[in-house]
Amino acid sequence: MLRVNPLETTQAHSPRAKEGPQVMQAFIIRHASFFTLVVVLLAQLLLLALQATSKHHVPLIKVWAVAAFDPFERSFRGLADGASGAWYSYHDLRQAERENIKLKQQLAEARARILQLSQDGAENERLRALLGLQQRLPLRTLGATVIAASPGGGSAIYIDKGMKDGLRTDLPVITPEGVVGKIIAVFNHTAQVLIITDGSSGVGSMLEKSGVQGVLKGGGDGVCHLDYIMNGEKVEVGDTVVTSGLDQIYPKGLLVGTVLKVSQGNIYKNITVKPAAPLDRLEDVLVILNSFQDKKDVQTFH
Amino acid sequence: MANSTERPVAVYRINRAAFGISLFVALLLQISLPIKLPLARLFDFPLLLTIYYTSTRRSKVFGIVLGTALGLMQDALSHGLIGMFGIAKAVVGYLAASASVKFEMEQLGARYILTGFLVCLHALILVALRRLLFETAPPFIPLDLASTVIVNVALALLCFPLLDRFKHPA
Repeated sequence: MLRVNPLETTQAHSPRAKEGPQVMQAFIIRHASFFTLVVVLLAQLLLLALQATSKHHVPLIKVWAVAAFDPFERSFRGLADGASGAWYSYHDLRQAERENIKLKQQLAEARARILQLSQDGAENERLRALLGLQQRLPLRTLGATVIAASPGGGSAIYIDKGMKDGLRTDLPVITPEGVVGKIIAVFNHTAQVLIITDGSSGVGSMLEKSGVQGVLKGGGDGVCHLDYIMNGEKVEVGDTVVTSGLDQIYPKGLLVGTVLKVSQGNIYKNITVKPAAPLDRLEDVLVILNSFQDKKDVQTFH
Repeated sequence: MANSTERPVAVYRINRAAFGISLFVALLLQISLPIKLPLARLFDFPLLLTIYYTSTRRSKVFGIVLGTALGLMQDALSHGLIGMFGIAKAVVGYLAASASVKFEMEQLGARYILTGFLVCLHALILVALRRLLFETAPPFIPLDLASTVIVNVALALLCFPLLDRFKHPA
């Protein structure tokens, strides 16, 4: 019986018999990563092919992946929504702040504009009235603007017209509301006007209703006094006082004021008159240029 | 035995916590960000992480495994077939590891050129797979490809320096 020596058998195969597998093994080890790639790609291609052919199911990995990420995704979305909400709130707040500043500026500008328009409107109204008066009066007049008050504190003002404009002393100065006073000093381009409330002022006046004549004197305290009206004359509070024309300065019929207080005196009544013209806030006035040269009286001035 | 043509290269270790968190965050951002930011549809965070980690570890098998895992997760979270992104990212992982052995990846130029190339290749593999698998594949638009490459390289410029903070020499 033939017995085979295992050692011999082994010797019979080595070393050439071993060479093939070893080379193959070395090749595989050397390119293990590449083979890994090929295997992985083939496996996935197979997976793709299976999915492409079967239409009825959702792969389990999808279920797991979605289940794993879903809570985090929701949290992330909530966080992102919160962050974007906070950002938009901040942005809106900043925008509101900017708009607020801008609107405040616009409001301030609008207020200034309204004030300007209001002043323009008042001036327009004044000038309109002055123009209306100028057209109504049967006398030659010249418009002037009050430029200053008398620095001495007395009841006098300065107007922006003077000798060069044809002004002279004793010309009456009026407004649409009533008599202001008369010119007492004239300069080249300005003139000083004594207001009827000054203590040294006197205006030939009469009560319009009764025609009783007197002299209106300045009270020095914003009012005037109508003197030389006999105690027997009937005078009531609210009666209108107009110029009488007897002083040869003011044309007859100009509104002077209204009776404020009446009381009995020794011989004459004590009558306080409130001037009709706004003497404490004069801006534009009319100077009557030829009041007694033309000898015209003003019948329906007020 | 190492290949004589391959030069000795530095291999880095990656902080495990940072590695895990970054992968998770990448996938989360990949599905969440496009809702809020339309431009984010061009972003591919998992791809960038595949390129970064593979070129850092310089291991081809690691690259294949990481690319496949991230790709399959991306597939699972998307509406497409499972395996599309897996195949593309496995190839990218393998090539990123191969390139990192041959080139000095610490140089910024090489790093971002490789990133751009791999992003382009990834997109082309996806296009090829879609054409292979679907009858009505979306048309290939070179401008879209260019946009994807530019946007992702720009994103890599931001992300890679951040990730560099968590790596240590092995």
